Amino acid sequence: MSEMQTHPVLALDGVTLQAGTGNKTIELLRDISFTVERGRTLGLVGESGAGKSMIGRLISGLLPPSFQVAAGRLLFDGADLTGQSAAARRALLGRRIAFVPQEPLSALNPVLSIGRQFAEHLARLGVPDRQRQDRAAEWLAAVHLPEPRAMLRRYPHELSGGQCQRVLIAMAFSSEPSLIVADEPTTALDVITQARIMQLLKEQQALHGAAVVLITHDLHLAAQVCDEVGVMYAGDMVERGPASAVLRAPFHPYTRSLRNSVPALDGPRRILPALPDQMPGVMALAGLGGCRFAPRCPSRDTACAGALPPWHEVGPAHRVRCADACLGADFPPAADVPDGLIRLPSEAPAVLELCDVSLHYAGRRGLFGRPAATIAAVHEVSLTVGPGEFVGLVGESGSGKSSVARLVMGLERPTSGRLLLEGHDPLTADQPLLRALREHVQIVFQDPQSALNPRRNVFSLVTQALEVSGHRVDRPERRRQARRLIEETGLPADCLPRVPSQLSGGQKQRVNIARALCVTPRLLVADEIVSGLDVSVQAQILNLLLRLGRELGISLLFISHDLAVVRYLCSRVAVMYRGRIVETGDTEEVFANPRHAYTRSLLEAVPSNRPPVDLAG
Amino acid sequence: MSGWQSALRAGKVQVGLGLLIILLLVALLAPVLAPHDPREQDILNTLTPPAWDAEGSAEYPMGTDSLGRCILSQVIYGSRTALTVAFAAATGSMLLGCLLALVAGYLGGKTDWLVTRMVDLWMSFPPVVLSLLLMVGLGTGVRNVVLAIVLVDWTRFCRVVRSDVIVTRRRDYVTAARLLGFSHLRTIIREILPAAAPLMITMFSLEMGIAVIVEATLSFVGLSVGADVPAWGVMIADGRGYVHQAPWAMIAPMIAIFAAILAFNLLGDGLRSALDPRLRTSRI
Amino acid sequence: MLRLVLEVVGRRLLTALPMIVLVSIVVFVILRAIPVDPVAMLLPPGATAEDAAALRAAFGLDLPLPVQYWIWLKHAAMGDLGQSIFFRESVGGLLARAFPATMELSLVSLALALVFSVPGGLLCYAQNTRLGRMLADLGIVTSLSVPSFLWAIFFILLVGVAFPILPFTGRISGDTMLPNITGFLLIDLLITGRLHDWGDAALHLLLPSLSLALSFAPSVIRVLRSSLMDAAHDDYVTYARQRGVGEGRVLVHHMFRNAALPTITLIGVQFGFLFGGTLLVELIFSFPGLGNLMVQAVRNHDMPLIQGAALVFCIVVLLTNAFVDALYVVLNPRLARRA
Repeated sequence: MSEMQTHPVLALDGVTLQAGTGNKTIELLRDISFTVERGRTLGLVGESGAGKSMIGRLISGLLPPSFQVAAGRLLFDGADLTGQSAAARRALLGRRIAFVPQEPLSALNPVLSIGRQFAEHLARLGVPDRQRQDRAAEWLAAVHLPEPRAMLRRYPHELSGGQCQRVLIAMAFSSEPSLIVADEPTTALDVITQARIMQLLKEQQALHGAAVVLITHDLHLAAQVCDEVGVMYAGDMVERGPASAVLRAPFHPYTRSLRNSVPALDGPRRILPALPDQMPGVMALAGLGGCRFAPRCPSRDTACAGALPPWHEVGPAHRVRCADACLGADFPPAADVPDGLIRLPSEAPAVLELCDVSLHYAGRRGLFGRPAATIAAVHEVSLTVGPGEFVGLVGESGSGKSSVARLVMGLERPTSGRLLLEGHDPLTADQPLLRALREHVQIVFQDPQSALNPRRNVFSLVTQALEVSGHRVDRPERRRQARRLIEETGLPADCLPRVPSQLSGGQKQRVNIARALCVTPRLLVADEIVSGLDVSVQAQILNLLLRLGRELGISLLFISHDLAVVRYLCSRVAVMYRGRIVETGDTEEVFANPRHAYTRSLLEAVPSNRPPVDLAG
Repeated sequence: MSGWQSALRAGKVQVGLGLLIILLLVALLAPVLAPHDPREQDILNTLTPPAWDAEGSAEYPMGTDSLGRCILSQVIYGSRTALTVAFAAATGSMLLGCLLALVAGYLGGKTDWLVTRMVDLWMSFPPVVLSLLLMVGLGTGVRNVVLAIVLVDWTRFCRVVRSDVIVTRRRDYVTAARLLGFSHLRTIIREILPAAAPLMITMFSLEMGIAVIVEATLSFVGLSVGADVPAWGVMIADGRGYVHQAPWAMIAPMIAIFAAILAFNLLGDGLRSALDPRLRTSRI
Repeated sequence: MLRLVLEVVGRRLLTALPMIVLVSIVVFVILRAIPVDPVAMLLPPGATAEDAAALRAAFGLDLPLPVQYWIWLKHAAMGDLGQSIFFRESVGGLLARAFPATMELSLVSLALALVFSVPGGLLCYAQNTRLGRMLADLGIVTSLSVPSFLWAIFFILLVGVAFPILPFTGRISGDTMLPNITGFLLIDLLITGRLHDWGDAALHLLLPSLSLALSFAPSVIRVLRSSLMDAAHDDYVTYARQRGVGEGRVLVHHMFRNAALPTITLIGVQFGFLFGGTLLVELIFSFPGLGNLMVQAVRNHDMPLIQGAALVFCIVVLLTNAFVDALYVVLNPRLARRA
């Protein structure tokens, strides 16, 4: 299909977005420029709060009234959108510009059926009434959904996340748009589903020739699917160019650190760099003139903080916004992190031992007493964790890994099998021994929002264990303990009086860990504790765990769906699928030569494993 | 706590609190403010118009009722009844309702089932009907009015606080406390109660408003405090008989009831908005 | 889905039956704690203790409590609720006349309240200036602070005393013979074609139902507004806007449907309060309904009548709960189809 396309589908030219009024204005986006051509995919990559979603909102025009475009133009198919009325912009949405949202299950109205919502959309596109159901069914078939007609009658909660996302992609493409903006479309999905959905997106794009803007925090994903990539940091675009160039050989210190901070699934294991603090939040932007990365940058020129750095061409269509001297600067790898992972001699007695442990739930009973099937959350799982050993437990959601955590913590009793803590069975232990055993196993919860009492300050949180009778100490001693724990987990000394709402995500997670360390446990159970964190913060926490392992000799049962993180952290890994452990062994060995089909499919689905971009080194 | 600070600064809370303080002062200083003893009957001066009317006198600023009692004094002393009942009844229902809610929500299982069934049973009665029945059974008097309201309204506290407790119970930090070795009692007091406290306080304020309504309803029917105690509802009921001659006998207590309820509602509403963390986050 | 509705309703009704029995026991126990002797009112002056004892025995009041209750229960199960001590009529008959009047009043009040609160809630939500929001807030809090009996008296003062334009006593003017087909005057008079009387009855209903509606509507408005505010943050709203759906349609077609669910639950709960709130309103407007009857029974310590009336109130509340539960299941697809 050859067309004389004179304009790129989307072009941003020096766009600056301001929020606030009068003298309290914050520049949420600064001097953003990029173009997307027909049939091409541009990735907007960055950590959360970098401004990439803001660009999506800018395109849709759905911004709060106090936001305005202070400079630059936003061109869609050659026409400037910034001068248009809201009504004209709305006319484009859903027609020539379509969106694929992040949370598929909640993006659809829960009280309307799929068919009705699709029909509403098709009505907007001018499809006559009697054709709407047919066309909707056609589209659902095009995105490979089984039994399209039946699907139309269903409600969103009856579909899986992946199925909902397919419906949303169908709706997006049904108007034959020129531009698709996909904002983290696969973040809420499992790894395998993720791969399939991205495949579908590319397929539809190829079929209809739309331009795609993919907003994501996943570098590997962007490297795999995008043609061009723009890296965002605190409202600035710091690097832009072809995906392979930007992500294989970046020049901006931030992009380089981002790339280096993501644990890799293949290639040699290298220590993640120590990138301090975190990206400035919206409120802090006001005080940052010049390069916003400067406070954290390993190489800092005095000119950096003064004015916005200029663009440098470092390759064909590859530009970097940085001071000349800083280009290519790197963060050193974290200093105090042990190089190798601890591997044990086989005679060491285990801290945790699971022997054929099962956990079965009875299903729901109907009104008339019909018994329902039992659900096997965990089925005959066997696992050991030695002293000082880091063991990873991987699987997708619903595989039973959280149930294993609950079993280990004593929150559930195994239906069958034996669970031993340091060689003792907690179910038969007497009170004093039981209490000691329970203290030796501590959990770090996933969601710091829910894991920390919002009304307690950090001091009271980290020393919470000392409030129990039997551990009661006087105030000065409690302060000493608090300071020790703060230091151990790398928190600033002044954070003791703060409450969780005043802490960042990474800091909250450190408090979480500190609280667990208060009673000097032997085993830490960490359930998805880095999943919601930014890449650089995640690296900090992972390095912290490694350091604690070496200094305190604690063992770690690390539950995660992220294989690369497990590879970085754990010497042994167990793979769970539907309540069973399908494979265990040495991490490197399992990931290099997986024996079970499921392990293989997991590894294949992870973006970094696919050609053509090789990010190692 | 920043929540409380923003609460105090909120307009509704300030106005509500202000009105409440005025009412409290009126009730406390009744002997000073009221021109007459509210029970004193002046047979020569029955149904006199208020002071701003041509035939009225300053001696009875709002006029007198059919028994010659000063209307203004009755209204002022009536505030004592209303506030006493409001405060005592709200405290009682809060204590009873929240205790059961904490226990039921935290322990779950059979305890929860039992408490929920009790609440359901209680709530099958329309509250007015039940309080009427209780007053019939208990007899009149301030103490019985308070008891009746407590026995009816504890269910309101219980139901609302229980859902809050259940939500909090599911939070990881409660599990974390238990895993750190906290006993049930300590967990409830240190982790769950502080989370439910804002809700309890809001409901306390609203409950006081409800208690005023119930008391007025009961005294309208004639089944509230004893005959000698001045009460706004009684004034309205009596005033209906001679509404053409002395409408102020009805209007004055009506305004007083409205003002009291408004004060409690403003306070409760203001506290609710200020302490609800969802409503406090700014939206960008 | 029908199966599920029947399941829900069935479950509710099954628990309702023991509830009703329990309720009747509670009422019985409460009433027997009375310090006042019910027969004392009926005795002529100068009656002797034997006369009082004889009268008590005639009413069966000398038997032990559980026996009295059992007798009552047996009769009630067969439909005989006893004889009113004061009115000397069968309790069942009195209730059968009074109940439809109160039901009609409650339903009309509910309808009026919905007419006020649905647009009211949408309007309050749609305020996006600070002044508008403040006024909406103040309006809600202020009208919440006026209980139904205050509205009732206010209307009487306004319409009865100051500007006498509307009737405020009873169900209908004069002593016209009322048809008794359903007991609902608005229906009966329509069916029998007595349009002039229909208008009269409607006017008589106006003030009492307005009083009840005005006290009911603010809480519905508030819940509707806060549900809409909750829904405004939901993802499907953002996505609908991203699809280019207009604000009006987003509000009505998407948000309102979701916000309606908690609102309906509230209305269901509050309807019970409304039905009980008819007590004072009927008293004030001399409306011959259940509430009025209840108050009279209470004043006269008329036990069987109190018992019977209390029972009717509770049955209405329980049925309303069952109905609302079933409605919720029908409207909420997440409950209707369990995946």
